[in-house]
Amino acid sequence: MDAAIEQNRRAAVISEKKNKVLGVCLEDARISKSYLAVAFVALLLGGLLGLLQGLNRAGVLELPAWLNYYQILTAHGLLLVVVLSAFFTIGYFYAGLSHTLGGLLPKVRKLAWIGFWTKMVGLVLVVVPVLMNEASVMYTFYPPMAAHPVFYFGLVLVVLGIWILATGAFINVAHWRKNHKGQHLPILAFFATGVFVLLVGATAFVAVEVLFMIIPWSLGWVETINVMVARTLFWAFGHTAVNIWYLTAVSAWYVIVPKIIGGTRWNDYLTRVVVIALVIMNITGGFHHQIVDPGISLPIKFMHVFMSLAIGFPSLMTAYAMFRVFERTGRRKGGKGALGWFKKLPWGDVRFLSPFIAMAAFIPAGAGGIVQSTNQLDQVVHNTMWIVGHFHLTLGMSVVMTFFGISYWLVPYLSKRVLTPQMNKLGIIQTIIWTVGMVIMAISMHAAGLFGSPRRTSFTTYGDFAETLGWNPLMTAVGIGATLLLIAVILQVYAVFNMMFFAPKGEVEFPIAEIEQDEAPTPYMTERWGIWVVVMLIVIAMAYVLPLTDMIVNAPPGSPPFKTW
Amino acid sequence: MTQFIYGLLLYIFLMLPPVAALFESMMITHMHMQMPMLVISGFLMSGLLLRRSHLFLEKWNHNGIPGITLFMMIMIYWTIPRTMDEALTMQTMEIWKFISLPFLAGVPLRDSWKKLTKAWKNFIIFIFTVKYFGMGALYIWSEESLCNNYLVIDQLTLGWGFITTAICLVIYLVYAFSVNPSDYE
Repeated sequence: MDAAIEQNRRAAVISEKKNKVLGVCLEDARISKSYLAVAFVALLLGGLLGLLQGLNRAGVLELPAWLNYYQILTAHGLLLVVVLSAFFTIGYFYAGLSHTLGGLLPKVRKLAWIGFWTKMVGLVLVVVPVLMNEASVMYTFYPPMAAHPVFYFGLVLVVLGIWILATGAFINVAHWRKNHKGQHLPILAFFATGVFVLLVGATAFVAVEVLFMIIPWSLGWVETINVMVARTLFWAFGHTAVNIWYLTAVSAWYVIVPKIIGGTRWNDYLTRVVVIALVIMNITGGFHHQIVDPGISLPIKFMHVFMSLAIGFPSLMTAYAMFRVFERTGRRKGGKGALGWFKKLPWGDVRFLSPFIAMAAFIPAGAGGIVQSTNQLDQVVHNTMWIVGHFHLTLGMSVVMTFFGISYWLVPYLSKRVLTPQMNKLGIIQTIIWTVGMVIMAISMHAAGLFGSPRRTSFTTYGDFAETLGWNPLMTAVGIGATLLLIAVILQVYAVFNMMFFAPKGEVEFPIAEIEQDEAPTPYMTERWGIWVVVMLIVIAMAYVLPLTDMIVNAPPGSPPFKTW
Repeated sequence: MTQFIYGLLLYIFLMLPPVAALFESMMITHMHMQMPMLVISGFLMSGLLLRRSHLFLEKWNHNGIPGITLFMMIMIYWTIPRTMDEALTMQTMEIWKFISLPFLAGVPLRDSWKKLTKAWKNFIIFIFTVKYFGMGALYIWSEESLCNNYLVIDQLTLGWGFITTAICLVIYLVYAFSVNPSDYE
């Protein structure tokens, strides 16, 4: 036991020294910076489109015929949910892999660039039909709404890019493990492995949907499509995608934030168990997005409630772990009494404040998620603004605010520049504006949803019907929130590009917290990813064979393509 | 002791009439959820039971082969369509299911698995893979209803459940044979 503790301590010292000596590899940094640059340009464009939507729903802006609400809604969703999140995640984890595994291999670097350009070409192919109003199908692209086939070809390339990047990550991890026999993968690389496993698993479903169902249908090779199967395949991807961004944020909560507050990480073994649990149970959670879909029997929905709520368990472990780390660190810094430790946390540091608010937002966001996984409750809110409020809390706060917090150290680290006190102050202001804007927007969306205001619908007064006019004050608040959010977006994008190109030169650390010195060693079983992937596949088979067989064998009449806009 | 309690709680949970009725209402959940969970409940409870019968097991199951043979017999027995039918129509068969799977499959599995060599373990998984492909083919291609209590669609679903599980086992076997742990550990 003592020997193991000593080994842990030595490993910590070695990793600290290595970081100091190696610093950032410029070639690897260029890869991550490119991904981050695309991510934040997407944030700017997506944020601008978000404002247009918010103002439209508030009833103060009538959109022109050449740029309609549904076009903007589609682009807003794609830019923020797919581009911002995916590009940030990949940029961040590739930086993490490079830092913790001692640099990317040359062939992995090459794969990262091939993946980057594949995704970029895919992105252009997706965006052009949207701009031409040929693909206003929203980011969920549900049949029977059919976009121009080029839109789907673009999606295929985006997925292909993700697979190339995942392959690169796996090659680098396998190479490191061969050269570090018997050692545990560094924790950030462990998170990255989990995320890339999930990315491959999730996109496999959407690839089947797009390649074998939607493309032949949109090209007119087949006349009809099985809408239920397509939706099911989409949500196996869509839900997991959301959880991938969440797992990315969680990685920063476990690994980065403790270092920033001057503490140590939560128990290494339990951290890895949380990652494995999230990977195994995630994809099957997709079904709860279809909980009010017709044609799925109640016993199946009932069982899937268990599978969805199971994901809540590692999230609750995370909530406990984070506050335990905060308390432990605050007390070591001299915090007394029941809540004295709370004051000892570095509230003036944007690298902490932003992720902290993100975590706090996950409490109502997670609770809302549990509400929506429940059939009866979801029936009240499913097609309303409530859902929009929910994912603005989860993605717009829990995930994106963590990404913002990361950007304030990752971008300077990659650019060999520093985070100046002025930039930190700007970050704090940006965090506050974003928080206020998002809280106003999310609360009013939830409330409007409870009163019945539908989502995915442009502004209308329903012939001045009194009941629906009651939604308008709430929707005005959404517009105010969206305005504040765009201000915060502009500040954030300015901060990122300033730190990337103009901030004073210098060295900043890649903040990775160490484990407690007296911690027991983690069992090696956590490293057996082959087994965890097989368990994940078995869980997916358990969840999907039953409903999919039913949907295919007892299929309703297929649907021809529709253009509803 | 903790494991025993978890196993016992799972066992009692599976016995609750609404839970049993829900699992047994669908053929695939009957065979691929309820039955494995009964084995798992026995597996969890067996720690305590095995410690008490240490000498007996040392004598009769010292290399794990008798135990795993018993496990295989029970598992194969419960994949026969008729046994599932009988469990639903005859109370005694239902009781036999709740006794045989935890105590004659779960308990010997735990005692035997750790005693088996790696080659034996992979061989057992290989047998299950072949069996699952075979059972999958039987359930998918059989045009007649094999169980009186279930519809043909139920049986088709179960067939695909077998095939997908078998594919997962193949992936595991490929992983086990293609990746040499000593390269990494």
